[in-house]
Amino acid sequence: MVKYKKFTMPLILILGIILIGLFGKALSAKSAAVKDNRTEVVLWHEMGGPAEKSLEKIVTGFNKSQKKYVVVPKYQGSYDAAIQKILQTHNTNTSPAVFQAFDISAAQMMHSGFITPVQEFIDKDNFDVSKISPVARAFYSNKGKQQSLPFNTSQPVLYYNASLLKKYGITPPPVSPSYDDITRVAKAIYEKSDHKVKGMTVQIYGWLLEQAMANAGVSLTNNNDGHTGFPTKATITNPASKEFFEWIRENQKAGDFMDYGSGAMSGTNQTTGFLNGKVGIYIQSSASMSQLNKKNKNELGITYFPHPNGKKANGVAIGGAALWISNDKPKDVQQGAFEFIKYTLKPEVQAQWQKDTGYLALNKDSQNTSILKSLYKKHPEAKVPSQQLQEAVPNNFNSGILMEGMQKTRQIEQFAMEEIYNGGDIHRALKNADKKIDDNLTTTNRANGRSTK
Amino acid sequence: MLKTSTTDVVPEKKVEANSDRKFKLTAKDKYYASIFVGPSLFLLGLFVFYPMFRTLYISLFLTNSFGNTTLFVGLDNYVKLISSPDFVASMWVTVVYVVGVTFFTIAMGLLLANLASQKLPGIAIFRTLYSVTMGVSVSVAAIFWLFIFNPSAGFFTLLTKMLHLPTVNWLTSPTNAMWAIIITTVWMHLGFVFLVFLGAIESVPTTLYEAADVEGVSSRYQFFHITLPMISPTLFFVSTITIIGSFKSFGLIDLITKGGPTNATNMLVYRIYNDAFFGGNYAKSSAEAIILAIIIAFFTYLQFKFLEKKVNY
Amino acid sequence: MANIDETAILKRIFSYFLLIFLAVVILAPFFIGIWTSFLPTADILKGNFFSTNVSLNNYFDAFTQTPILRYLGNTVVISIITMFAHLIFCSMSAYAFVFLDFKYKKVFFALFMVTMMLPSEAAIIPNFQTVKALGLLDHYSAMIVPSLTSAFGTFMLRQSFMQTPMELKEAADIEGLNHFQIYWNVVLPYNRISLITLGAYSFLGAWNQYLWPILVTFSNNSRVIQNGLKQLQSEETFNNWGMIQASAAIIVIPTIIVLFIGQHYFKSGMNEGAVK
Repeated sequence: MVKYKKFTMPLILILGIILIGLFGKALSAKSAAVKDNRTEVVLWHEMGGPAEKSLEKIVTGFNKSQKKYVVVPKYQGSYDAAIQKILQTHNTNTSPAVFQAFDISAAQMMHSGFITPVQEFIDKDNFDVSKISPVARAFYSNKGKQQSLPFNTSQPVLYYNASLLKKYGITPPPVSPSYDDITRVAKAIYEKSDHKVKGMTVQIYGWLLEQAMANAGVSLTNNNDGHTGFPTKATITNPASKEFFEWIRENQKAGDFMDYGSGAMSGTNQTTGFLNGKVGIYIQSSASMSQLNKKNKNELGITYFPHPNGKKANGVAIGGAALWISNDKPKDVQQGAFEFIKYTLKPEVQAQWQKDTGYLALNKDSQNTSILKSLYKKHPEAKVPSQQLQEAVPNNFNSGILMEGMQKTRQIEQFAMEEIYNGGDIHRALKNADKKIDDNLTTTNRANGRSTK
Repeated sequence: MLKTSTTDVVPEKKVEANSDRKFKLTAKDKYYASIFVGPSLFLLGLFVFYPMFRTLYISLFLTNSFGNTTLFVGLDNYVKLISSPDFVASMWVTVVYVVGVTFFTIAMGLLLANLASQKLPGIAIFRTLYSVTMGVSVSVAAIFWLFIFNPSAGFFTLLTKMLHLPTVNWLTSPTNAMWAIIITTVWMHLGFVFLVFLGAIESVPTTLYEAADVEGVSSRYQFFHITLPMISPTLFFVSTITIIGSFKSFGLIDLITKGGPTNATNMLVYRIYNDAFFGGNYAKSSAEAIILAIIIAFFTYLQFKFLEKKVNY
Repeated sequence: MANIDETAILKRIFSYFLLIFLAVVILAPFFIGIWTSFLPTADILKGNFFSTNVSLNNYFDAFTQTPILRYLGNTVVISIITMFAHLIFCSMSAYAFVFLDFKYKKVFFALFMVTMMLPSEAAIIPNFQTVKALGLLDHYSAMIVPSLTSAFGTFMLRQSFMQTPMELKEAADIEGLNHFQIYWNVVLPYNRISLITLGAYSFLGAWNQYLWPILVTFSNNSRVIQNGLKQLQSEETFNNWGMIQASAAIIVIPTIIVLFIGQHYFKSGMNEGAVK
């Protein structure tokens, strides 16, 4: 008997391990489980930091507003990383019912066949979308059918330290500045501060290069940035992008340009530098605004994205992301997802969202809410991004780039920017970028069985 | 080839010394064998062998946006990689990193171990302090050093300002970013390597040093002519595992530089991850994975071979 | 005579000087990190290192405002299960390779050795597909199942098992024990130092996993601490450096304590198993 017992000990231990494993699985599954009989709608999002807190507020509001559904938000890290996660988990029990995917992945999501176009729900519920910003809506629709609805939309804007300009008696840049306008201010900051404060920085971020090209009215790929057919060739090497980089180089040579690089912390370091008065001007998404206002002891100045000298600005594209509904979940879950999307677009919800984050309120009625009125009273400059959006006349160049593999393209753009910032030849860097994007396009089109001609 | 290497790796000096007293049961028993080896063999098959063949298979195709294989292209993916200056640059960067990390880790590890092997009062405290980085994980090391390298508020920036030296852009210049990653990696590995070297130095017979002392040989001479030769097997072991470990480096790059600036720190594993899970190009990523596997296999094989040789002399 | 003493003393002083200097260099990142974790972020950003506003606020924030405890809990569970799984599966296969005789033993052992040559980083794509097919994504099991066993562990224990002395076999024979009994009552207790060493390695290995968990976790329910720290430093927002340093300190302090306690085993383990 005793012997028999000892004989089974290893087996018991193995069983124990398996049990612990199952327990672990149950434990991790349980905490996400539904409390009452509501239908669970899993939301994947990429809002980190304060924006996450604000999004959680929206989710709580939605869950309280009705009794049928419960939205469970799950943070997925960066926009970039989320795309493959969404594609790779489709049809598993892990996949989300509704997810946030950023602007440049729109083409990929549309072609994936993994989504239910929101148009179906709009038609069914007779949901009135006319109040939602048409520019933002157009970005996420295809052949007149709404594919997804924009949730967070931002504009790239230029921020400057207004207190610093006052201190040194520098005339602020106009609301829609040219490259030269900015150079003047940046050099003045650097000189008048006795080289203690750098004039300006432009983050190594592909989005900013794309915006510079949009604002100059040139396209990044042929077929009008993919709006009139699948892109097959990149067209980054053009006078407009060269002018953009020559502007940066001029400031580098003058010594007033600060390079924060492209590493994991570059964005943060840049903002930190701006807040601590180490650099006077920087370009960033309007989504940074509320935080800048919150933490800034200096007066904040905002202008439109700068445009080439002696030309009128073509207007920039919107940035940000939309909410998409996956088609791998039951009908009622998808309906719940749409109910949530509708909720996020309510005037008050969007107004609060803009106030909390700096993303632009997409519902026209939001402007009439007391929330935004009091915000504009306190921070008149908070209006600038919305104005920039309204002034832009949508055309093929400022309506985003409809191309698969945009993420890789961004990395290639960033590589070119790094080369140039480190003193490389501008023309050669851009030519190389074009070539690399072309190679990727050829492979992508071949792998997906599309003709490259 | 592998069979001979593996059977020979096993016996060691110590084992051979008392091999006549070796514990050996010989019961031809399929039942026991299947229970004892079965689970491990199954798991290794499913999560090591199968994926290697699968990766090899994917690398011969093109993959579509969902990662499914679509078009057979043979070795095209490899040819493209090798002829792409980007990939060649990445390989070069990886080699520079591996060599840098290996050299500095070993040099520092030896220095520390040699110092800490002295018989001095209170030396135990230093031994503990030097091994402390063994408890540091990737993310912690990255955070500590990210702060030190931070251009606006970082410690180095502060230091250079206090000493009125020009500030160094640690993470924006390609060369400095590589140094930053190397420094962080060396720091992280140092504790482990130090302990291994310390153990080896301590096991060198003291009589050798005593004899040298009697002859009045300098301590530097002792180090190069007694310690180093005596611990050469450990030296080789540490080199190979450091080489293998640094070829597989990923976490620090992801946390500190994300492969930049200008791909200056875009090393092999980061590429594999980036091409597949960001770029969605699973075929290219698989081809890179196979290249990594070949490199790692080569160094592991070297290590096995050496162990085998060691037994023979 | 006095002369020799003097140079010996000088040498000693020099040795201590060098020892202390190197200790300071190696420990500096810790000191800086832990010191700043007590300072308010505003002071850190201003470069005000010698601020006297020392407080535990950052730690309080880290515990209350971030899911760091959840991350820690996840990681501890995953690491402990992985550790026990390694101890069992590796010791079992090592036992078979030492004490059992069976067909294809050499071939199987060669296979084990070959797996040591294949980096798991090269297998992430198919492994992701496998774990997905098993329905394990975003569960602890996704991080445990693929690393339930280890070829290195088997190899290390095999080396150790081979040195089990003859007397024990004789005793076992007299008792008439079967293989399970010998494995459990004789071999495992005799090799406990090696087992502890392997356990420590396996625990640390699982604790330090970084790439694989990024791929298979999709929510805070299963996210591990190594990835969790990355989530805390989100890019487009301001960095609360004080809090981030505090979270790093929260993670590093327990492992260092474990290391100090287990140092003896680590050292002996390294000299016994791995480093020959």
